[in-house]
Amino acid sequence: MTDDGGGISTRGVRRAFGTVRAVVDVTLEARPGRVTALVGPNGSGKTTLLLMLAGLLAPDGGEVRVGGIDPAAHGRAARARIGWMPDVFGTWESLTAREVLTTVAAAYRMSAADGARRAAELLELVHLADLADSPAHVLSRGQKQRLGLARSLVHDPDVLLLDEPASGLDPRSRVDLRELVRRLAAAGKTILISSHVLTELDEMADDAVFLSQGRTVRSQSVDDAAAERRAWRIAALTPDPLAEWLTTAGIAARLEDDGAALVELGGDEAAAALLRDAVDAGVPVFSMAPAGGALEQAYLRLEEERR
Amino acid sequence: MSVETREVPPSGTQPRTVPTSDWSLSWQGVRTVAQLELRQRVRSTRWKIALVVWFVVVGLITLLTSGAVTMLFDDPSMGADGAGGTMFGVVVFFVLFLGLLVAPALTAPAINGDRAAGTLATLQATLLTPAEIVVGKLLAAWLAALAFLAASVPFIVWAFAVGGLPFWSLVSVVLVLAVVLGVVCAVGLGFSALTAKTSGSAVLTYLTVGGLSVVTLALFGLSAPLVTTTEDVRTWSAPTDYDWEDTEPPECGWTVQTQDVWHSERTWWLLAANPFVIVADAQPLADPETYESAADPLTLIQYGVRFARTGPPAEQDWCGDMWFTVDGRDTQLTSPVEEQQPSESEVWPWGLGIYVLLGAGGIVTAVRRLRIPAHRLPQGTRVA
Repeated sequence: MTDDGGGISTRGVRRAFGTVRAVVDVTLEARPGRVTALVGPNGSGKTTLLLMLAGLLAPDGGEVRVGGIDPAAHGRAARARIGWMPDVFGTWESLTAREVLTTVAAAYRMSAADGARRAAELLELVHLADLADSPAHVLSRGQKQRLGLARSLVHDPDVLLLDEPASGLDPRSRVDLRELVRRLAAAGKTILISSHVLTELDEMADDAVFLSQGRTVRSQSVDDAAAERRAWRIAALTPDPLAEWLTTAGIAARLEDDGAALVELGGDEAAAALLRDAVDAGVPVFSMAPAGGALEQAYLRLEEERR
Repeated sequence: MSVETREVPPSGTQPRTVPTSDWSLSWQGVRTVAQLELRQRVRSTRWKIALVVWFVVVGLITLLTSGAVTMLFDDPSMGADGAGGTMFGVVVFFVLFLGLLVAPALTAPAINGDRAAGTLATLQATLLTPAEIVVGKLLAAWLAALAFLAASVPFIVWAFAVGGLPFWSLVSVVLVLAVVLGVVCAVGLGFSALTAKTSGSAVLTYLTVGGLSVVTLALFGLSAPLVTTTEDVRTWSAPTDYDWEDTEPPECGWTVQTQDVWHSERTWWLLAANPFVIVADAQPLADPETYESAADPLTLIQYGVRFARTGPPAEQDWCGDMWFTVDGRDTQLTSPVEEQQPSESEVWPWGLGIYVLLGAGGIVTAVRRLRIPAHRLPQGTRVA
């Protein structure tokens, strides 16, 4: 919990740039050992919030604690415990991947020997060992992204702030990222991860915080989101029996062009019951699954509610 | 997906000492930033080309100057001293001129360029203090400027070897050149932290350098009427009825004349801020016999500014500077008016003092602008 000095907690944080109010009122908790997703459309204030948490930007008001420390007041003490991966990944193009990491290690006041060892470990961890001595400008976008992740881990921070870490990653790297993030969380780190690719967060995150127009509009665990009413997609070998059965059973459904049906259901038990009934009724169901991830649906519902 | 394995304790990531102030400096921090900057610079081909072009251009100018002075000072009566001094002066001024053009380019993009590339925040988010980032960048830029200076040292030494100058001239001129270039780097760094665009900081730095090199001179000249007063001056002059066609020397005596007097001792400091003056004045003052026949730019400028610092003489001699043939011998009239001497007080420490203040201003500005968390952002910039 945040009481013992770990994790991230904010209350009523706001920040404006001139007349643009980027963050209006954000209250969130991110606990150690858990991965918290920061979800919101472009321009909802995710990056600004992360900059404030990383101690780079001063909030106009509200309370921020990262690892129990106010980054605006005790910046360096907080930064010693924070790993920040920015969304726009700028890198020193002419340095090699290894040099990027040893430079950052030295900037965190690690000795040259420790820095070299840590760089080697991290390059192994993000699968860049074979590119360790190539200049950064030959790395692909995804490889740079992985290097950026390694960079944020150099000083073994307790709190990780990852701004769109998965953008530009190929499927294999995404799986690696997910595993790495889970492993770091298992080791007790607090991880706050922003993204608008929601399906990916489903599998990675424990909790979710939804931002819209600079405000937290909802905080919930991903399991809760999954238990909420959401759409399931049912497909049968032949569409007609499915449609007939749904009509006779009085279940509200939306039929798609390919004959599959979308049904709103409140949780996994309801889904299991529906599937059993359908099969008992002789409908040749071959597939039934949530239509889209739990976070995605929660997010879209939220957008609808706001209209 | 959950993985049960615990992280192996990472290497060397034990709690470290955290600097307490934005202004604290550690050698490790400064070296980290300087090394980062130099690595990037050394690896760019642009930089190598620039050094080669510099070497060739300075070499060419030295060669041409050498040819020109050989022709000018071919007359043995002029003496070899003039040739050496002139060549030395021309080469040194040319190196200074080129250095003033190159130095702003070394630091003008140092901060706003990194900000635009998204690499500045990466450094700021670490335990480096703003002072370490700024001093590291300045050190790297200064070393780069010194590399240009080093590339011209062979030619400066060549000009020096042509002869006639004390060794201290060589040392002092090179040292002062190095300091002036460092100050220009620091000023560029300050502007780079202030402005959003690289072009903006470059223009402001060039304006500052141009202002110091040209505007100080113009102001010194233009301010002359402001410091010119009409005064009664004691003059040693010939009687008013004296006929200057006369072969007999006049009976000179003291009179009081009302005339305009330029008090350059009130404005000489304008010249002290001029980089060319600082470099020229840094050499030891030659004795009067030398300066009266001096033709090289360094010595002439040095005497010019030293006379300006002395100001107008209290008494003037309107009579003595004439030769008469008395009893078959050429004689100069004796005059009680003492000849005006250039000031013994050096001008260059004042100039360097002004420069150190300017450089310190640049550094302080940059450090203040790099402090995080950022409250107000410069127009058109973002943190990352």
